[in-house]
Amino acid sequence: MKIETGRGRAYKIVSVIVLVILAFLFTFPLYWIVTGAFKNGADINATKPIWVPTEWVMNNFDKLMKQRSVPLWEVYLPFGSFFNGGKKVLLTAGPEAPAAIRWLINAVLMCVLAMLLTCLTAAMAGYALAKKRFNGRALLFSLIVCAMALPKQVILIPLLKEMSALHLYDSLWAVIFPTVGWPFGVFLMKQFSESIPGEILEAARIDGSSEWNTFSTVVMPMIKPGIGALAIFTFINCWNDYFMQLVMLASGSNFTIPLGIATLQAETSVDNGLLMAGATLAAAPIIIVFLIFQKYFTQGITMGAVKG
Amino acid sequence: MKKLLALLLAMIMVMGLAACGQKAEDTPPADDQQQGDTQTPEAPAEPAAGGEITLWTYPIGDWGKEDKVKAITDAFTADTGISVKVEYLAYADGDDKVNSAITAKNAPDLIMEGPERLVTNWGDKGYLVDLSDMFDDTDKSEINAAAMAACTHPNGSVYEYPLVITAHCMAINLDAFKEAGADEFLNLDTHTWTTSDFINAVEALYDHFQAPVGAVYCKGQGGDQGTRALVNNLYGGTFATASHDEYTWDDPANIKALEQLKSMPGIAFDASLEGGDEIKVFYQGILKMAFCWNIAQQLNPNQADTGAGKTANGEEIVFMGFPSQGGSPALQGGIWGFGIFDNGDEARVNDAKTFIKWMCDSEHTVDAVKTANYFAARSAAEGTDLSGIWADNEIMNEYQVLMPYLGDYYQVTKGWAGARTEWWTMLQKVGEGADIAETVATYAANAAAAAAAG
Amino acid sequence: MARQSQPTMSRALQRRENISGYLFLLPSLIFFIGFVVIPMIICIVTSLTDANMHDQGMFGNFIGFSNFTKLMSDETFLEALKNTFIIVIVSVPTVCAFSLWVSSAIYKLSGPVLSAFRCIFYLPVVTGSVAVTVVWKWMYDNYTGIFNHVLKGAGIIEQNINWLGDSKYALWCIILILFTTSVGQPIVLYVSALGNVDQTLIEAAEVDGANGFQVFWKVKWAQMMPTTLYILVITTINSFQCFALIQLLTKGGAGTNTVMYHIYWTAFKLTEQAGHFGYANAMGVVLAIFIGLLSALQFKLAKEK
Repeated sequence: MKIETGRGRAYKIVSVIVLVILAFLFTFPLYWIVTGAFKNGADINATKPIWVPTEWVMNNFDKLMKQRSVPLWEVYLPFGSFFNGGKKVLLTAGPEAPAAIRWLINAVLMCVLAMLLTCLTAAMAGYALAKKRFNGRALLFSLIVCAMALPKQVILIPLLKEMSALHLYDSLWAVIFPTVGWPFGVFLMKQFSESIPGEILEAARIDGSSEWNTFSTVVMPMIKPGIGALAIFTFINCWNDYFMQLVMLASGSNFTIPLGIATLQAETSVDNGLLMAGATLAAAPIIIVFLIFQKYFTQGITMGAVKG
Repeated sequence: MKKLLALLLAMIMVMGLAACGQKAEDTPPADDQQQGDTQTPEAPAEPAAGGEITLWTYPIGDWGKEDKVKAITDAFTADTGISVKVEYLAYADGDDKVNSAITAKNAPDLIMEGPERLVTNWGDKGYLVDLSDMFDDTDKSEINAAAMAACTHPNGSVYEYPLVITAHCMAINLDAFKEAGADEFLNLDTHTWTTSDFINAVEALYDHFQAPVGAVYCKGQGGDQGTRALVNNLYGGTFATASHDEYTWDDPANIKALEQLKSMPGIAFDASLEGGDEIKVFYQGILKMAFCWNIAQQLNPNQADTGAGKTANGEEIVFMGFPSQGGSPALQGGIWGFGIFDNGDEARVNDAKTFIKWMCDSEHTVDAVKTANYFAARSAAEGTDLSGIWADNEIMNEYQVLMPYLGDYYQVTKGWAGARTEWWTMLQKVGEGADIAETVATYAANAAAAAAAG
Repeated sequence: MARQSQPTMSRALQRRENISGYLFLLPSLIFFIGFVVIPMIICIVTSLTDANMHDQGMFGNFIGFSNFTKLMSDETFLEALKNTFIIVIVSVPTVCAFSLWVSSAIYKLSGPVLSAFRCIFYLPVVTGSVAVTVVWKWMYDNYTGIFNHVLKGAGIIEQNINWLGDSKYALWCIILILFTTSVGQPIVLYVSALGNVDQTLIEAAEVDGANGFQVFWKVKWAQMMPTTLYILVITTINSFQCFALIQLLTKGGAGTNTVMYHIYWTAFKLTEQAGHFGYANAMGVVLAIFIGLLSALQFKLAKEK
């Protein structure tokens, strides 16, 4: 490095100050959510903002839990309605519980299922696109690239009718399947699989390893960081896909926590304390997931992009 | 661990495959998809004796609160064996939910709202069951004539069974008015005031508080009856013709009213608020008057359970009629009741009719009405007198002074849903400073076109 | 890249590649075709019809391109289209520039500090769109929001600004939220890209007498090109996903309508125009065409590099 000039040092000091201010601004919304959740009614309704709660109370969470009650879980036989004259086949249902808890369970379940499905299908497809020279490969890849940026609103109506025809409307599957179908994961995994040396695959084949074995024992370990990145990515995206949840889920027992909070906001009676309590619940799981997978994420996402 | 994961994935995959494999098949109607849902999860597999119906309700008084609604539907279930699954809609996005459910062939059996949605929209489009066979001559004589008329479609079908009615009004923060010396403009006995009283009061309040004291909210359609009533009443304008076939809000009296409101610094045109938001800001004591008010609000402001007629900091709320030149306003009515979606299942339609009969025309009607916190839409139901059910409630009794001012229920004019959208979009433009006469003309013409097309 | 497959692959080998390739693709293709491609085809077909909510059946009557000609004179739609483009055109370059600046300022910091900064800038993403939206709505609030309070306290404004209700500000307020939820990933990417820049090239350039700016532009920027393109792609995708912000904050009022929201509005809001599925799908097709062009452009750029 060159010796720092005076101007260089001044720039550095300014940029550190700006960074600290920015860091504060980026953390503030979360701070405001969490403190809002624990403020009492007077603090919430105060005309002047109360920066630090005068007392920390659980009122808002109590209120949130009292909003609605639904069965803690309900397990339906998938596609059971096809064999039962259009009626859903309920296998089991849990005891009545606050709806917010159910919404939380629903959201986590939905995201985890979408995550698992996406990772598996995308890893396989990405590997094939990168390493197999089959006919129609270029065409398929262009199709995937074009569809990547497509907002779901474009296919809203056909998708809704399709889900209705499949008897999936008002179930989490109606949100999961389109998420899995979204081709960004395939694109990402293709970028990763490009870096697998052809010689290793060739060696595996000469050893008599079957295609599936090659994939599961040779390819999978090599693209593991990429799968980690895709997993967290899908989880976050699915969680944030408010739109699909809004359109596809109708009954209160099938809501997810983000949708539930948005619905609470839509109701006239809602106060900010209650909303912030809900927002805290809605933010906690995904922040936790992020912190757990953080290492994978930074590694994986970077590799994919740089290699691309 | 890995094996387990793979197995799980494989299972999910198979389910996914099944989804696509069955796509081509002729699928049976999905109408009654929700029927498998049981009300009593303790015994999930057992079907309820008298079938199951779903009810979607907008927050009409306490019909939006689960504990209150559950009490009354449980009583109904105990009585008839029909279980009811209730979903709660919000005004902000409830209409979209119902429409997407209709598209997905998953509409509820029962819906609770007013004629502007049930009759003018869903009924008109043929989604609802004609209820006219539920009304005999006694019923017709008992039910408020205006409500009955509003629930009847021009083609003669009745798409809504009315349960409750009220008059929408406005509210003021009496403590703030006193503080600013504006209470001299109020008549607290009749709960009415004149246009000049209103203008003077807003001026006094603004001088005292140095901030807007009332908001013409126009973010969306929520609570839009308040802004319409305010504009119409100030100089005696109207919104639609008495025969409900044309919109008249390009009336010069309305333009004059809008110009008057726009010129007042104490009145803000606020496109970030809907009716419900306005009530909240009023409840926080920031706005000193609310235009989106009615008796249910008066009994329980902001549904916050903090005491009748009090703001968050305990200031006194007084309901008022909308200001008009002669001091006798034409108040906007509210009518709410039940409609039945035609899901093609006779048994469920009959169950739904049983529900309506139980709620709207039996000895239980008292409870159904009290849950809504409004006045009964009929004088008596199967021998039970309903006129005196609120006799022990002081606020309800006092509110009776406004009921004679109940005006025309013009929300059943053709093309209503489009017209109300034009209305609040117009308010947004006016708030931004567009030329008022011109803007009103443009949007009223759009509404007229919607009426002609609808 | 070393590859065994030559242009003259034997027919048997090609068939084997076809079979195994498509078998690996099969699970993914089922979802992709079933829930993206088929709906898209239906969308295109219905955009040429008068399909609506009130008629049963998927397709209405064929009416040619009249939905599209009607769109061209639909002021609400054109405004929505304009807003959509403003959002994309403003947010994509600002996100890229901002994250590049932040990354170059933090990438040399020590490990824990660097991690902390990365996490902080990532927080709005992982807070979740709905939670972020409800808290910003409160912060922007005309009467009780902290923005008005702070700005008034600092003497910058005299009267409360109605952030979300005033068409002068509303769209920019939404872009700001979108911005905070978009910069997290680009920063992570740029930090590692900057760390991976070949040091020998930088030293060589410095020996040749290049100044700081030249080193950055000619060496670092050039090496980070793939990262930048990738960031452009994901930021563009992100910018089209602003439905929740519009629906929960302004409902398309105050000059914030976007095509994405307007499709929803046309499909399901309770107005006389609502339920006109053919028309809504036509909007979707127009939007898809624009997005397709944009993606093609970005990937053409990527290919050239």
